[in-house]
Amino acid sequence: MNNQLANYYEMAQDNTWLSILPEISLGVLALLLLVLELVLPKKRHDLIPRLALWGQAIILVVGIGHSSMGGAVSDLTSFNGLLIHSMRGEVLRFFFLLCSLLVCHMGIQYADRRGLPKVEFFHLILIVTAGLMLLAQSHNFVLLFVALETVTVGFYILVAYSRKSSFSLEAGLKYLILGAFSSSLLLFGIVLLYGAGGNPQLPGSSGDPMNFALLKVFIAANPDNILVLAGTVLVLCGLAFKIGAVPFQIWIPDVYQGAPTPVTAFLAVASKAGGFIVLINLAQGPFAPLKEMLVPFLGAIAILTILFGNLGALSQRNVKRLMGLSGIAHAGYLLLGVVASFTVPWAANAVVFYLFTYLLASFAVFGIMNQLAPMEDGNLSLDDFKNLARENPFYGAVLAIGLGSLAGIPPLAGFIGKLLIFIAAFKAGLYGILGVAVLGVVISIYYYFGWIMEAYFKPRLVSIKSEETPYGPDQFPATSSHRIVLGCLTAGTLILGFYQGALSYLL
Amino acid sequence: MTVGLNAFLTVSGLLFAIGVFGVLLRRNTLVIYMSLELMLNAVNLALVSFSRYNATPEHTMMDGPVFVFFIITVAAAEVAVGLAIIVALYRKGGTVFVSELNTLNN
Repeated sequence: MNNQLANYYEMAQDNTWLSILPEISLGVLALLLLVLELVLPKKRHDLIPRLALWGQAIILVVGIGHSSMGGAVSDLTSFNGLLIHSMRGEVLRFFFLLCSLLVCHMGIQYADRRGLPKVEFFHLILIVTAGLMLLAQSHNFVLLFVALETVTVGFYILVAYSRKSSFSLEAGLKYLILGAFSSSLLLFGIVLLYGAGGNPQLPGSSGDPMNFALLKVFIAANPDNILVLAGTVLVLCGLAFKIGAVPFQIWIPDVYQGAPTPVTAFLAVASKAGGFIVLINLAQGPFAPLKEMLVPFLGAIAILTILFGNLGALSQRNVKRLMGLSGIAHAGYLLLGVVASFTVPWAANAVVFYLFTYLLASFAVFGIMNQLAPMEDGNLSLDDFKNLARENPFYGAVLAIGLGSLAGIPPLAGFIGKLLIFIAAFKAGLYGILGVAVLGVVISIYYYFGWIMEAYFKPRLVSIKSEETPYGPDQFPATSSHRIVLGCLTAGTLILGFYQGALSYLL
Repeated sequence: MTVGLNAFLTVSGLLFAIGVFGVLLRRNTLVIYMSLELMLNAVNLALVSFSRYNATPEHTMMDGPVFVFFIITVAAAEVAVGLAIIVALYRKGGTVFVSELNTLNN
């Protein structure tokens, strides 16, 4: 008995709670918001959004300060191998916090216009962000699954958040069914890997096959084991759903259209980034020995994803579906980076850089969409953007730069992101996929520029359906804080296009 | 007669397959929901049997059964959220059949 206790004591030695302080403070902040709603009198409720935003900003700044002081730069595991602290993990924590801050900021305006409750929205966003931050650092399948489910269950509620809209509820149900389905696939894959990795008769087996490092040793010793192969494929299928890769992309257009616009932005950027960071951690960890099988497998998925996303987006007039389908194409380029990272390790960092450029550009575009969205924001179409640039040159400029960056036009940040991934793919010798990706970029320029054309050169039609008139820029003037945020995102896109020094330590 | 690991895995695989086909083929949201739960429980069965049969004196493989509790908790959370959405959707549209949920399309 004492022996076992000594074992547990030893296991608990590296429980460095300080290292997950940002996640803990996010959780505390989320709970605090719920308590404040109960305690504060009605007329002081305007404090809550402010507290949510400032609290996150403080966590962000303190977190950066901590990690730039050399908090966790080396790959260090803690909590008995549950977490790994790496430079990439730190960068992604920053990424997810930035996302949640932007989403909360966008959400205030969205909820105000539609009379939706705000506190629960912030609460869910904060919990989901904490889950994503743990996901980026997970080094064990149990933690990976629990963090992933925290994120996904939070997203189910967020997608169905506007309860009066049948769009939102239907999107929530679709996301729920397909999300739970893919989680089960992922889970079955994990169990097969666990079963194979724990088999004492096989070489390299260990007592803790959920651990990535030990599992990698086992897979390297038994690359042809049928359970390992089946488990790997199932895990990758589950993840393909999260990132929206073919053939699990079917939910994306519907869910993106139905979800409230800030949640769509969060799904498009943070949820996708979460899927990719897990994929990178697995590709460079336990699945690295399966390179021979995974490169063609994931490569084929990348080709199909790029083609599906770009061709689907060509004829789309609904803006949120368009963002969804083009997001599938972006997932394809990112997947190309993941495939390249099997051969060229720095490709993983190129993927992270691409995610940053995608964040800046997407949030700028979604911010504009949020400004223009009608009450039922799933109906926002390209027609609502007509003449935008003349009525409001600032929005026009933000939109043009955001879309240009998504299309990958030099000298914007999106171009550098794509360039890095393509160079990595070239060095890895993936010429076929690279050709398809370049073709995909050419196609994407067509629809992104079609959108810019609508905003700059097409006159606004007199709207016939009067109840559904979009909010013109004048009906709900953006507060100065929204202008500042949009301006910062655009400036970030421009600066990152010329000067990558800010993120160059990634490469 | 002792029951081997393969027997457990066969049952688990069958349950999982029933769940998958249930999700793909059934039209009633509640039945789809039950099929999803069936998939999770198939996973639980496989986990427990793997950890039982892989256990050795040095490695007790207790993380499998512990993981099962996590899965049960996650499944409960999913059900709570899922049923809430289904109820809200039923109040709004008066149906729980996926074929009649088609507001979102091109």
